[in-house]
Amino acid sequence: MDPLSWTGSIAFLNPLLFAALGLLAISILLWIVIGAVTPENRAITNEGGTLSLSAGPQGLAALAVRITFLASAVILLAYVVLGLVMGTGAGIIGAISQRMLPVWIALILLFTLSISFKRRLGLYGKLFDSPIGMIGFGLVMFWVFTGIFGAFDMIVTHDSLAQASGMKNKAPGTPLRGAEDGDFAWYLLGGDNLARDVFSRMVKGAWEVVKIAPLATIFAFMVGITLGLPAGYYGGKLDTFLSFLANLILAFPVILLFYLLVTPEIVATGLPQYMAVVLFAFPMVFFGVLLNARYRTQPQKNLIILAVVLVPLFLMYMSLINAAGSKIDFWPLDFFDVPGGILVVFVSVVFVNSPTVFRIVRGLTMDIKTRDYVAAAQTRGERPWYIMLWEVLPNARGPLIVDFCLRIGYTTILLGTLGFFGLGLPPESPDWGSTINEGRKLLSVYLHPALPPAIALLSLVLGLNLLADGLREESLRD
Amino acid sequence: MSKLEHTDGPILEIDRLSISFFTRLREIPAVMDFSVSVMPGEAVGLVGESGCGKSTVALGVMQDLGKNGRIVGGSIKFKGRDLGEMSVEELRDIRGNEIAMIYQEPMASLNPAMKIGKQLMEVPMIHEGVSEDEAYQRALEVVTDVRLPDPERMLNSYPHQLSGGQQQRIVIAMALMSKPALLILDEPTTALDVTVEAAVVELVKDLGKKYGTSMLFISHNLGLVLETCDRLCVMYSGEAVERGSIEDVFDEMQHPYTQALFRSIPLPGADKNARPLVAIPGNFPLPHERPPGCNFGPRCDYFEAGRCDAGDIAMADVPGNDRHATRCLKFQEIDWNAPITVGEQKEKTAPGKVVLKMDQLKKYYEVASNALFGGGAKKVVKANETLSFEARESETLAIVGESGCGKSTFAKVLMGLETATDGEILLDNQNIEQTPIEARDTKTISDVQMVFQNPFDTLNPSMTVGRQITRALEIFGIGDSDAERKARMLELLDLVKLPRAFADRMPRQLSGGQKQRVGIARAFAGGARIVVADEPVSALDVSVQAAVTDLLMEIQRNEKTTLLFISHDLSIVRYLSDRVMVMYLGHVVELGDTNQVFSPPYHPYTEALLSAVPIADTSVEKEHIVLEGDIPSAMNPPPGCPFQTRCRWKSEVPGGLCESEVPPVRQLEAGHQIKCHLSDEVQERMTPVIKIAAE
Repeated sequence: MDPLSWTGSIAFLNPLLFAALGLLAISILLWIVIGAVTPENRAITNEGGTLSLSAGPQGLAALAVRITFLASAVILLAYVVLGLVMGTGAGIIGAISQRMLPVWIALILLFTLSISFKRRLGLYGKLFDSPIGMIGFGLVMFWVFTGIFGAFDMIVTHDSLAQASGMKNKAPGTPLRGAEDGDFAWYLLGGDNLARDVFSRMVKGAWEVVKIAPLATIFAFMVGITLGLPAGYYGGKLDTFLSFLANLILAFPVILLFYLLVTPEIVATGLPQYMAVVLFAFPMVFFGVLLNARYRTQPQKNLIILAVVLVPLFLMYMSLINAAGSKIDFWPLDFFDVPGGILVVFVSVVFVNSPTVFRIVRGLTMDIKTRDYVAAAQTRGERPWYIMLWEVLPNARGPLIVDFCLRIGYTTILLGTLGFFGLGLPPESPDWGSTINEGRKLLSVYLHPALPPAIALLSLVLGLNLLADGLREESLRD
Repeated sequence: MSKLEHTDGPILEIDRLSISFFTRLREIPAVMDFSVSVMPGEAVGLVGESGCGKSTVALGVMQDLGKNGRIVGGSIKFKGRDLGEMSVEELRDIRGNEIAMIYQEPMASLNPAMKIGKQLMEVPMIHEGVSEDEAYQRALEVVTDVRLPDPERMLNSYPHQLSGGQQQRIVIAMALMSKPALLILDEPTTALDVTVEAAVVELVKDLGKKYGTSMLFISHNLGLVLETCDRLCVMYSGEAVERGSIEDVFDEMQHPYTQALFRSIPLPGADKNARPLVAIPGNFPLPHERPPGCNFGPRCDYFEAGRCDAGDIAMADVPGNDRHATRCLKFQEIDWNAPITVGEQKEKTAPGKVVLKMDQLKKYYEVASNALFGGGAKKVVKANETLSFEARESETLAIVGESGCGKSTFAKVLMGLETATDGEILLDNQNIEQTPIEARDTKTISDVQMVFQNPFDTLNPSMTVGRQITRALEIFGIGDSDAERKARMLELLDLVKLPRAFADRMPRQLSGGQKQRVGIARAFAGGARIVVADEPVSALDVSVQAAVTDLLMEIQRNEKTTLLFISHDLSIVRYLSDRVMVMYLGHVVELGDTNQVFSPPYHPYTEALLSAVPIADTSVEKEHIVLEGDIPSAMNPPPGCPFQTRCRWKSEVPGGLCESEVPPVRQLEAGHQIKCHLSDEVQERMTPVIKIAAE
């Protein structure tokens, strides 16, 4: 087997791409310079109601930017499509593109469905009116699908933990020595310093991020909302106390906190578990209060609904905090054990994220509680928690959804940081943070093991930020 | 920078202007075929309901329609030059220099981080390049002109240090800094209290004369326009429907919409029983759902199918009048002098037994000057001072007063959101003044309910209309099952005359008046016996106000509700209330039957309030009383009589009694009481403020 080159037989596209990118850069530069020098344009209304925009140098520059951008995008798309058809014939890029086939299909399905029904989908549908939001959503969903399909072993070429002899630190596209039938014959993005496949580890790492980051963020939101609502609604001493606590946590050096939490001596005292007991109780409290406030007037119905929701939640909660052989080990119905490392990661992420959420919710509540519909609820004798959860919270959802997207991004980076310091997750874990840390050690000699996870992390967080921008922009319009 | 040359023609000439906004879904025509001209020194009023395009016209004149807005036809000529053909630089010279604009919200028009003086001086420094000293002198002069006390201190203060009325005066001063040829005022007094509004209007009128500025005055209030303008243009749904001099339009109206508008506002003489208001049927059409032909057609009494909806209707001159035009095909056929077909006359309901009694109610707040540690000197804010009155079954008691008079605090104490400091509230002879709402039983809570002021805030935006009413039913324990409650909810929608299909709508799909109806339905969900209506119609459009007021009256008649109607608008108070209570800085200054309060002897504050309310009737003569200064802060009330700082009768009381002692409550006739030191002889001298000229 020959080693794969990057582009294989579609190398003819390379000069085209470079030319397009170069022209794009030049036209953007020109556009900025012309915009700064020449006077601004104004739409002029002609006789009879027609409208003309005087086509000055500014208009031309803007047109050039648009054309070159489109050209670059088309060429990039050509790489993907040709790669899909030609597979390894189109080099590493082609092979990766072909392996990603399920992701492409899922993305195309999602986008066509969403765009065709976008008028009926509320805020989510409006997202498809904003190019920024669409790009962000596309990037995010790319990694989500990669993670999901990767978890089903669909995209990966090799076992992410298996080592192959002779593949240590090999460059991208190196053929696998002694590949048998059914084995994928190349390490597409090379091997790392333990001779594992970088591509497969990156794909597997996506799953680690996709499963932990949103879940941890949801927990952080539950905690922040459950504490922020009363702080903002009641104000006074409660607010002063809770805000002080939040400031205290925010002021504490996060990295030190993480190191403390994973120190074996501290883990042995059961501190992370006790913190989990407190932090994971919040979703139960949240849903319990939410439903009780709503159905309080109909005791019969209330009881049934509360039981249906709270019993499973309670069982999950107990399974979550109960672990055989740890400090908390008394609950008989333990369905699953969370690895100690993951629990620590969860606890620390929730712990450092919830104060910020708390402050956002508190501020929104203080604003919304002055509205007349809150006064109307008060004058008909509603209890405070009903007002907080059913009158205030739904109307604070806009900023909260945007912050949720941004916060998943921060959490992803935080997970990377934790992995980088080797905290929490097991050492052989393929998550992006750990992989970057391993690649870092030989960075001056071998660049390729560290770069793919770094780029993956970058594009996911960028996607989340763009998505949040798009959501914010669209929620402000109309 | 020099100003444009100007010859004799009109200062501003808008000719067949059409403006559209472009959204993602469609083009929304906001203004269509709109023409008006403003002559030098003339004040032209632009009247219409919200959404009729009057502000869009103003923005069009400023050429500031934003990204989506575009002029799609017609022209706007300023001093003979087409604004649409000017370059950005030329426009920049004109804006603020030749055309100045005054907006509704004064705080939003001033930069909070810059001292007033600096903001004012900027104008001539940028537009005319004058020196700093000269600019300062001019700022000083203009601030003196807008009658602000101590101009030098004013120039040296930040916007937040001034009251709303003072801020609006500063905004007016800023607009006048460059001696513009045209001043556009977009609802300049809507955010102000009535007595302050009267002073600002007076000021604008005088300054217009002094500087010879032409004005385009945008307002929804016909009374204000009558007081300020020479000519007027009535807009409906993006079109000018009638245009002419004030006298022509007010006395010889030639368009059905103008007529309907006048019939739906409570002018002196209207009465809820004998001569009820005539509400305009139907709703304002949305810009993209306008009917063919006449936009007002579907709501018009004179509508003729096949003629009025056949095609576009052009403005037609009314023969015999000067520059008086109307957009009605039938204006020469309609008998404009036909008497109003008087609606159903209702029996005046006799008030029943006393349901609510307030006795010497006091509410004080303690405000700590240092919030964090609770230390420092504590200040007492006396929000309500010895409030006593009775309210009977099926009676309407109006509570009148401007912001800061304590009427909201009173409502809060009554509802149980706050507890009283002293005194008694008796509901059916039971004390409730010390029972907070959590401790009240369901019956008490559902008996006393409230209708709120702002229709856009009164409903939870993320819950369906039906759900919100059902929730009130659930809370009040009405109905045994979901189905029963749903049936009751639909009945309540019927009660407020909303289609049942509205149950599944979200509040954003409803208009302001419809939302207010839902608010009323919610208040009556538990069969309320006492309803506190906090300015329920003041934020609504004129044509909707009448309908909502009538609805409230009708429900009251059927349910024998006691209505506590909080308002600052004396016209509507006179129309619907049985008794009136006037409040000022926490004190009840006057209380009595509607007729007693609206005729002399007055409390001096009532007198000023009556004079301040603009009345849209040319046959009404008002005595002109302008109060000096602003309402004092409740944190720091004046000693003695609360009103003494602004009272024009103060000199009639010997011995400085007004400044040293709070006046006692004096009983005049049966049930009429006044809190004033003025002697009987002086009171006798008072003349009626509002006189209707003999026809």
